[in-house]
Amino acid sequence: MSDAAKEAFDALKETVGRVTVDDPKMQAQNVDVFYGDKQAIYDVTLDVAKNEVVAMIGPSGCGKSTFLRCLNRMNDTIPSCKVTGDITLEGESLYSKDMDPVLLRARVGMVFQKPNPFAKSIYDNVAYGPKIHGLANNRAELDDIVESSLQRAGLFDEVKDRLTAPGTSLSGGQQQRLCIARTIAVSPEVILMDEPCSALDPIATARIEELIDELRENYAIAIVTHSMQQAARVSQRTAYFHLGKLVEVGETKRIFTNPSHELTENYITGRFG
Amino acid sequence: MTVINLLIVTAVLTLLYFLFGRQRAYSVAKGNGGIRGMHSLPTHYGALVALWCVVPALFIIVAWKLLEPSVVDSLLSSSIPAEIRAQGDMAVSLYRNEINNAVDSARISSLSDPAKQATATRLAGLQKYASYGLFALTLCVATLLGFLAIGRISPTLEARHRVEATVQGFLLACASIAILTTIGIVLSVLFESIRFFNQVSFVEFVTGLKWSPQTAIRSDQVGSTGSFGAIPLFAGTMLISLIAMLVAVPFGLMSAIYLAEYASSSARAVIKPLLEMLAGIPTVVYGFFAALTVAPWIKGIGESIGLSVASESALAAGLVMGIMIIPFVSSLSDDVITAVPQSMRDGSFGLGATHSETIRKVVIPAALPGIVGGVLLAASRAIGETMIVVMAAGLAAKLTANPLEAVTTVTVQIVTLLTGDQEFDSAKTLAAFALGLMLFVSTLVLNVIALYVVRRYREQYD
Repeated sequence: MSDAAKEAFDALKETVGRVTVDDPKMQAQNVDVFYGDKQAIYDVTLDVAKNEVVAMIGPSGCGKSTFLRCLNRMNDTIPSCKVTGDITLEGESLYSKDMDPVLLRARVGMVFQKPNPFAKSIYDNVAYGPKIHGLANNRAELDDIVESSLQRAGLFDEVKDRLTAPGTSLSGGQQQRLCIARTIAVSPEVILMDEPCSALDPIATARIEELIDELRENYAIAIVTHSMQQAARVSQRTAYFHLGKLVEVGETKRIFTNPSHELTENYITGRFG
Repeated sequence: MTVINLLIVTAVLTLLYFLFGRQRAYSVAKGNGGIRGMHSLPTHYGALVALWCVVPALFIIVAWKLLEPSVVDSLLSSSIPAEIRAQGDMAVSLYRNEINNAVDSARISSLSDPAKQATATRLAGLQKYASYGLFALTLCVATLLGFLAIGRISPTLEARHRVEATVQGFLLACASIAILTTIGIVLSVLFESIRFFNQVSFVEFVTGLKWSPQTAIRSDQVGSTGSFGAIPLFAGTMLISLIAMLVAVPFGLMSAIYLAEYASSSARAVIKPLLEMLAGIPTVVYGFFAALTVAPWIKGIGESIGLSVASESALAAGLVMGIMIIPFVSSLSDDVITAVPQSMRDGSFGLGATHSETIRKVVIPAALPGIVGGVLLAASRAIGETMIVVMAAGLAAKLTANPLEAVTTVTVQIVTLLTGDQEFDSAKTLAAFALGLMLFVSTLVLNVIALYVVRRYREQYD
């Protein structure tokens, strides 16, 4: 980082741009995250709107994945991790005592960086979530859920003849769509995606990006990505993170054509990252 | 002039040749544009020279020591009196023993018979010549070859390749010792078993229901015809192993799940070594624990609820054996559960599964092949276990499925057949080899299956 950029970062007290939206699905307010003594996220406030894809970009280690994992309390599995501030889903606080993280994660699904199908058949991978949440009363209903989830993930036609084959037998792109189908199958309200295409080739990536755009009709989506092109293609709003601070938020088009903050401009013009 | 001295001298010589060779390489390098002008580094040249010195020397020593006894024998036989030789091999070997003892303890003069004294003197002389000869030959060959090797040092000599090929060959030889030993054991057991099956039919052995290995020593003895049906022994082994697995698998698996999934790292650091300590307790200790503590305890409980319990019950031996093999199951299962990628757990948590749902439905199914491998290894350990059953299971070969009765196992019978003073050509003792062979084959098959399963599992995630 150049001296000028460092100065700009140190001077940053408040996120540039509008962090709130008119019809928020999720709201994060003044979130700090600590790993032991080390602070990873500084005072981040950000809304996720309904039927919107919000992209989080920034250099490696900027805290965007950490922030994403706060939105469905996946950080609970890391013992040293501590989250302060408030995050709400439809006005309910995620970190209050009344909130069961298990139920929360059924409402806020997550797709991971590396495709991680279970060591089960394609069918059982998708049926897993509905089964543990008791979403289907009988086999026929379960079949319906599995089929419609695979269909919405754009995978059904490719796998309909081999639903009993292991999930790991699919290609990387198919595995990732299987993981998306698995997430959709529990009918979440929000889908979090942590660099969902970083392990995929360009063609598989294009399929997933189309899919994300289609999913926006029914879900609120927050996606972390390393690819600025991807953020530009799939998202309506973009949030730029830098060293744990949320530097700038705005409409994707504006962020990529006319960024307000010096750091955002440096990043999207490729001066660092 | 012992072999030890010779080895020390050879070692010193080798070291000197290494230094000479390296020095020579440096001076050759000077005339050829420095070390970079040589094919290999000076140490490689030194090592090559040293190898030329030490390998033939060791070869000579080993070959000499192998051949020396028979050569000395044939040279000595002419000085053994004809009348002794006429009495046959037994007398000759007795005579030789006396001579050998006298020479070894340096008391030739204490021999009474002048003929014996003459033979002994000749033997002592031969041995002296032999050791001088070996010494001289070894050192001459080592020195000569080392010297020639130094002379061959040149920029084009591929010393590094040769040294590394030799090292590789040496490592291969070390690795093959274990394999050769296994082959040797298998062959010796196999040949003795074949001798046994010449006396007792194989079909009777594997299908017979009665085991009573007492054979008649004199023809007029009664009631000791011997019957060699191994079924009761294998049934007993299976019964005790089954009880052991019923103890070890649930407890081992559940401790593995606790350790891998729930225990904090500090709890894990304490519990895991403690659990593995179970595997370090000598089996004889388990044996008397089973025989003196557990068996009476089971008998007491059984009798208090009106069951008749033998004082050496299969249950006692099986329970204690189960405790002993818990670490086999838990340690291997712990490893494979830990090896299940965290991303798979995250995927399950991300769908709103609880920790226990994740373990039951995602982690365990993914780790199952490895767990099965661990269980099979533990089973082969249980089948081959000896000390606990010798002390805590019975000797009577009874064909029963009742764990409260005394049963005997294959290993117990092998021990009883071979301990004490025994002739090694009767069906009774040879039966031990046949039993050993069967046991070896069954545990080998289990091990092969287990290793295959474990390997398949490893490939899946690496």
